[in-house]
Amino acid sequence: MAASWDTSRYLTLFAGEATEHLEALGKDVVTFEKGATPEVVDSMFRHAHSVKGMASSMAFEATAKLAHQLEDLLDALRADLARADAQVADVILQTVDALSTHVKAAVANQPLPDSAELGAKLAALHRVLTKKDTPVPAPAPVTSTPARSSPSSPELEAPAPFSSSSSGVVDPTTPPRYSLRLKINPASNQPGVRGFLAYKRLSTLGNVFDLKPPLDDIKAGRVPQGVITLELETDQSEDAVARTMRTVGDVELESIAAVVKTPPAPPVAPEADPSRVVGQEPARTIRVRTEVMDEFLDQAGELLLATSRVRALSRRVPEALRPSLDEAVDHLHLLVKGLHGRVMAARMTPIAVISDRLPRAARDIARRRNREVELVITGEDIELDRAIVDELADPVLHLLRNAIDHGIEPPEERKAANKPPKGKVTLAVTRQRERVVLALSDDGRGIDVARLEQAVVERGLMTVDQVRGLTERERLMLVCLPGLSTATDVTDISGRGVGMDAVKRAVEQVGGTLEIETKPGRGTTFRLALPLTVAMVNLLLVSVGDEVYGLPLGKVSGVIETARERLPMSQNAPVLQFGQSVLPVHELSSLLEVPAGPPSQGQAPFVVVDGDDGRLALAVDRLLGQEEVVLKALSQPLDLVPGLAGVTILGNGRPVFILDVARLVTA
Amino acid sequence: MRHVLFRLEKDRYALPLAAIREVVVAPTTWTRVPRSPRAMKGVMNLRGRVVPVVDLRELLEVGPAAGAGQARVMLLDRGRRELGLLIGEVDGIETLEKVGPPAPKASAAVKGLARLGALPVTVLDPDALDATVARAFTTK
Repeated sequence: MAASWDTSRYLTLFAGEATEHLEALGKDVVTFEKGATPEVVDSMFRHAHSVKGMASSMAFEATAKLAHQLEDLLDALRADLARADAQVADVILQTVDALSTHVKAAVANQPLPDSAELGAKLAALHRVLTKKDTPVPAPAPVTSTPARSSPSSPELEAPAPFSSSSSGVVDPTTPPRYSLRLKINPASNQPGVRGFLAYKRLSTLGNVFDLKPPLDDIKAGRVPQGVITLELETDQSEDAVARTMRTVGDVELESIAAVVKTPPAPPVAPEADPSRVVGQEPARTIRVRTEVMDEFLDQAGELLLATSRVRALSRRVPEALRPSLDEAVDHLHLLVKGLHGRVMAARMTPIAVISDRLPRAARDIARRRNREVELVITGEDIELDRAIVDELADPVLHLLRNAIDHGIEPPEERKAANKPPKGKVTLAVTRQRERVVLALSDDGRGIDVARLEQAVVERGLMTVDQVRGLTERERLMLVCLPGLSTATDVTDISGRGVGMDAVKRAVEQVGGTLEIETKPGRGTTFRLALPLTVAMVNLLLVSVGDEVYGLPLGKVSGVIETARERLPMSQNAPVLQFGQSVLPVHELSSLLEVPAGPPSQGQAPFVVVDGDDGRLALAVDRLLGQEEVVLKALSQPLDLVPGLAGVTILGNGRPVFILDVARLVTA
Repeated sequence: MRHVLFRLEKDRYALPLAAIREVVVAPTTWTRVPRSPRAMKGVMNLRGRVVPVVDLRELLEVGPAAGAGQARVMLLDRGRRELGLLIGEVDGIETLEKVGPPAPKASAAVKGLARLGALPVTVLDPDALDATVARAFTTK
């Protein structure tokens, strides 16, 4: 159904929040499958409840109804955790999927899908769960469930064994529900006590849900307009309820109606029932569009640059004025730096934003491929700049899919190799100095490098000689060759799948690096080393002729000063001895196609950097020092220049390009 | 439509007024853009923003400037960014209605020829200018 105009402005908010709750719910289900604990069921219940409240306040009634049924099912499970099994988990997941489809349809202003069949299934399962001593028919272990054709689709599977007994949505074995509206006499001098008494009296008749306002507020007399709404699940008739209410003085039963289709669910009000109050008040947050955060950062960055400019200008002021001006500039700088830091902190987002959906994805992929997989995620509360986290969502999912699809062997094959039948995939997030490292490892068969090389040669991407000339590290990086990874038939030959080039590109786009380690028969690790933020970068400033360039310090391995004419030659090109290795030397001026400075006399600096194809030495004229700068993105047409990572403005007002060292030579 | 009239050496050019954000004095030093086509003059710091500037004579391939006549940078409004054009003097704002076909071998950035009194004026197309710059980078 289409949202009316007054709710449409909240539609994005609704979609965002509902999706977050559904993702969290999906994650909980995976935990639940491993072992149902009261905590996880409580958490699932809370998420379902929130979705129900949100959908209801947006008037998406079919969505609210489905969420409500899920909530009922989870409530029944809380009472009897022993009945949780794979089948229950499946139905819950189907409901989560269906709810996601609802949310998507709602956002697209399309009619909500019909979920009556799923509703019937939920009701039937609920009936089974609440009936004592009746085991759920045909419990199936998770790992032996047949592969589903489309795990993320909300379609139903073949009718469940018990579906013959279900016909309607309302479950006949649970007591009917009534929606009640109570009004406290405005003249009452103890409205809190009266309201509380009414609640107590009603709860002797059955179970109270969705009490509004919450019980604590009622006790304290905080009842707006004296109106209390609630739902009552009871075996008593409407008349009996009304009779009971008449025994409570100063409280009038304004209306009572059977809940048939949609619960008049309140928006995300906290649960009032004391037995349901779990956890503490969450931190208060507001939602801000990411573009607004980007603009904040731009402005704060420009303020920083402007302050540096003022500082540089202050050097030209007469000596007598300097101290007070310097003091003012220092103060300004401190304030602006503080502001910039806060903007950056506000942008920091935990990795959990993307890793929360992985357990669910892992489960689906594993089922589809008939694998048994345990996914372990650690360090997901480590934070990165929002822009980086957003960029990583797809690559990480992709690596996970590859790990399960191609890394983890089928259970029989694992047994034959003396491995536990259940494969293990780990996403370990760690903070290492100025970087955050995401390592996705599997204990599968590893990458068959020989076959990978063969595939590269067969596809004509490289010649046999070229492949032979590669280092071990470079050979593994062959999985990222575009021509290779998009060819689907190679997937099974090489043991690695589609789109690794896209993963590598995305990681490098945000200033990160990708490393691969593999051990035949033991598994593979993809290591993504990422900067904490996109905005600040530590540079080594170098000059070439009249130009100044910034080299990201993270890519600089060292600096060597030596006389140019004493460099040894190899194949008519100068090389540089650096530690144990001999590195090719490139003139930065010719790489960048800018005029070189006058030839240097005596010692000249060489900067050793990590390129895509290994280390190399850059010949520059002078080293100007180190500086932390605000990185600005390149706009068209500057973004068309290969080898540039960004631009910044130095304190003297001079724009300086920051080089994409990794691709300086290859691009 | 109202146009800004300006000169490259002695030749007269025009761009729609709506496409121009401002005209500033050209800086004395430029930061060169690495690996860029000849027409790319460099980047300048415009109140904290880094703006790419092209030498319009080079871009239109009408030969390099003879003297020190390139004194102004005209900033094209390209939405969230700007493109600077290195030009000579600005003559003023005039309404140009009839724009005839361009000269046979004119750059793709030329929209056509107009007349102002007895003088011919080459009218440029801002979108085509932008595209020509991008093409210069990609085909370099």
